[in-house]
Amino acid sequence: MGFSIDPQATRPIYVQIMDEVRRLIALGDLRTDDPLPSVRQLAADLRVNHNTIVQAYRELERDDVVYVRRGQGTFVAAQREPAAGRAKLLGEVAERAATDAHRHGFTTEELIEALELAPDAKGGTNE
Amino acid sequence: MNSPENGSTAVWTEGLVKRFGREVALDGVSLSVPEGGVYLLAGTNGAGKSTLLRTLLNAEQPDGGRACVLGLDTAHDGPAVRAQCGYVPETGEGAYRWLRADRFLAHIARFYPGWDNGYATQIVKRLGVRLDRPLGTLSKGQARRVQIVAALAHRPRLLLLDELTDGLDPLVRFEALSLLAAHLADTGATAILSTHLVGEVDTLVDHVGVLRAGKLVAQRPLVELMARLRRYQVDAPEDWAPPASISAAILRRDPSMGRSLRLVAAGQERDLASAIDASGATVRETSAVSLTDAVPILLQSENSHVFA
Repeated sequence: MGFSIDPQATRPIYVQIMDEVRRLIALGDLRTDDPLPSVRQLAADLRVNHNTIVQAYRELERDDVVYVRRGQGTFVAAQREPAAGRAKLLGEVAERAATDAHRHGFTTEELIEALELAPDAKGGTNE
Repeated sequence: MNSPENGSTAVWTEGLVKRFGREVALDGVSLSVPEGGVYLLAGTNGAGKSTLLRTLLNAEQPDGGRACVLGLDTAHDGPAVRAQCGYVPETGEGAYRWLRADRFLAHIARFYPGWDNGYATQIVKRLGVRLDRPLGTLSKGQARRVQIVAALAHRPRLLLLDELTDGLDPLVRFEALSLLAAHLADTGATAILSTHLVGEVDTLVDHVGVLRAGKLVAQRPLVELMARLRRYQVDAPEDWAPPASISAAILRRDPSMGRSLRLVAAGQERDLASAIDASGATVRETSAVSLTDAVPILLQSENSHVFA
């Protein structure tokens, strides 16, 4: 599973793990009733403290993103509003871009203008 | 012997002192590691990390203070403490140099009722341990792998890991850390990790202690340390000096570029920011400090004791 975390990033690791699960669901890489890796497995794969994984899974469960079947593990829940999940993800991308723009002394309007002119990420221009 | 606060402290010491001749290796160390905690013991070379770990095993007898490990007084119950600890020493101990690695492991397995042969075999496989050579002929990295098997295979309640990955190649380092993460998930063991390579264990540890010249200058749960230690980017007039009310909280002042100034300070972000704003400067931005950045700051700053 394409989990990636960045210990140097300022967001706590458990939040990064939650975001990764949400991202994989939004992308369709994780679907309803798919199992998440076990706490032990993900701890070993990411070399992360097991309590961090437990915390991430617990908060995802509280948010109804995943459910726990006792003795079997953690599974992806049916997403109540898949579109809302994607919208939230896009909102976060936008927020990061805006924060970065402001740090460089640009306004949000200037950022939007630049985005419309920017070459498309896939390589083509935005025509 | 129980800890003063409660029974859930796996390791605590009180005013631990150790001298070697005229040199003071430990200068009143009061360490506290909760049950199940994964504690990063950071420090410069010669700060006393290895001496502290050896003192916890009573392999060194302290000249002052006391140590309690897993509810046992190390001064009286050294052997019982050692039986419940998995210890990876900083350097090979030099004993059994003539013994083949497999015979060495079979030999020490007899001392531990909890020794798990199947688990030992798994670790041997994953780390690529050479079993058919006498210990004395092993490279540093190979000797370390044997020590890791010896430390983990009896599933001890406490792991004391002194530079766990020292001498290991990058692939085996990953493997060893991944093994450790799974081991901790399985056993819930307490661990103290002494290392210079903070970036290797920054996602594994949940407590941090910083040892400088034999003194524990800072000790905190990681969450608390990270919540209170922040970087402030400040726009300040040229002759600006931080107000006296917060100067003790400033752990580092980075060389500035242009007009803005970068400070690392400890405390409530809101309080610090308003003190800076009130002093004629403006906080432009604050950001978190990673553990990898925090450790060298705590090692150097005169004000690290705000976390003591």
